[in-house]
Amino acid sequence: MPDLVLWAVLTVFAIDVVMLVGLIILKAVHRVRMRRDAERRTQYLTLLSRHLTYENAVDPIPSNAAEDEAFLDAVIDLRYTIAGSEIERLSEIATTYDLVSRQEGLLRKRFGGLRRLRAAVSLAELGNEASAPILMEHLDDSDDEIRVQSARGLARMGYTPAIDRIVGRLGEESDWVRARFGDALAEFGEDASAPLMAFVIVNHADGDTSAIVQAIRTLAAIGDYSVGPRIAQVLDLSSNPEVQIAAAGALGGVGGGFAIPSLIDALASSDWRVRAQAATSIGEVGLAENVDDLVASLRDRAWWVRRNSAAALVRLPGGVEALYRALSSVDPFARDAAAEALEDSGELAKAVTNHREQRATRDEARLLRHMRGSGVPGF
Amino acid sequence: MATKYRILLADDSKVVTAVLVAALEKEGFEVESAADGDSAYELGRSESFDLAILDQLMPGLLGLEIIKKWHEEGVVLPVIVLSAIKDESTAVESIELGAEDFVRKPFRIPELVARIRRRLHS
Repeated sequence: MPDLVLWAVLTVFAIDVVMLVGLIILKAVHRVRMRRDAERRTQYLTLLSRHLTYENAVDPIPSNAAEDEAFLDAVIDLRYTIAGSEIERLSEIATTYDLVSRQEGLLRKRFGGLRRLRAAVSLAELGNEASAPILMEHLDDSDDEIRVQSARGLARMGYTPAIDRIVGRLGEESDWVRARFGDALAEFGEDASAPLMAFVIVNHADGDTSAIVQAIRTLAAIGDYSVGPRIAQVLDLSSNPEVQIAAAGALGGVGGGFAIPSLIDALASSDWRVRAQAATSIGEVGLAENVDDLVASLRDRAWWVRRNSAAALVRLPGGVEALYRALSSVDPFARDAAAEALEDSGELAKAVTNHREQRATRDEARLLRHMRGSGVPGF
Repeated sequence: MATKYRILLADDSKVVTAVLVAALEKEGFEVESAADGDSAYELGRSESFDLAILDQLMPGLLGLEIIKKWHEEGVVLPVIVLSAIKDESTAVESIELGAEDFVRKPFRIPELVARIRRRLHS
């Protein structure tokens, strides 16, 4: 019996030793392979840099370079480092040496995990219009990241037939993918405005709220002034506060005078978030004629609306004077909101200095009286 | 014989180094590269260069720290700062510290080479 135990212990020990040695060998092999990959990557970097710099570089790139992952790494690294016309030259090299077609082949493979993802990233960075059809195909890929990379690549190459497809998918994607699709659509610029606006108009009543909000935010990021009236219409017609907030926010950026009636109506919304956003956007439009509307909102029942209204007043011509006048309001909340905005805008610091030098104006003295006991430094 | 300008290039990125060495050698410049801030600082003190290109974020001393130390020690060397940092403050601080120019990454190779040429010939 003791012999049996001894044999068992020795066997377990021997297995452990074999496994440990195997692990050490595997680690060593991996380390050597990593070092060789890094060396080849550096060689390719030097080679590619010469090809980018000299039109007729004499040292040739190996014809089978595309099969080497280190070559792809070097090309992608360079892509992130340089800007301007050299990127086109790099894309030409990638196409000439079949790097692009090889990545297309990898992306088409049914199984491939990270290799497929790398292929999608490579095509997003280096692909030319010839790669557009395969990227279009992969806007429906089962992998989130591959769909995102496909949209990004199509946007980079300015392949406008992709816009409708990407917009159409906004309602089917997760928030994360939707936001990335929004980035891609914003890169298309004004070409994407009409499809996005159509998507919003058609879906704002009963579509997926997140998708509509994303579409409106993307329109705001594009900054196309011509869609402003339509966004104002959405703000008027929608009963969904999330959509209204997005629309009001967008109008701050792409709105002009035409946006004001809708934003003023939004100041009367039953949802304080809509009112707060409307106040901020009115400030961004920046018209003197809206001073009274914002002064009225200083008495809003929601603190956030009062705060945003006061901050928006600072941006309007005559708004600072209105804030000083609001310090005499019968409403203590309005007085506090006005004082806070005056403090944030630097008026309080100015008043403190003038008070010390005994040349504070009546308004400044009123502000200082309001702030007395609030711990203003030096006062 | 035309003057062969010597340039000190300090960047921990092998990509940036490869690209700039190729581009600057094509221009006929002699390039000495350093992969970290400490080596760049030492090279700048001990050898003679016509211009230094310093990355802001490197292992060891940062680009701006190198400029400060060189100034303190009386090393007179025109510097171009490279940086991937997007905020304005690094650019402003570089110029305030006496850097000749500030180039943001990713950069256009011909533009950067033109800036270097102008600096060397002025």
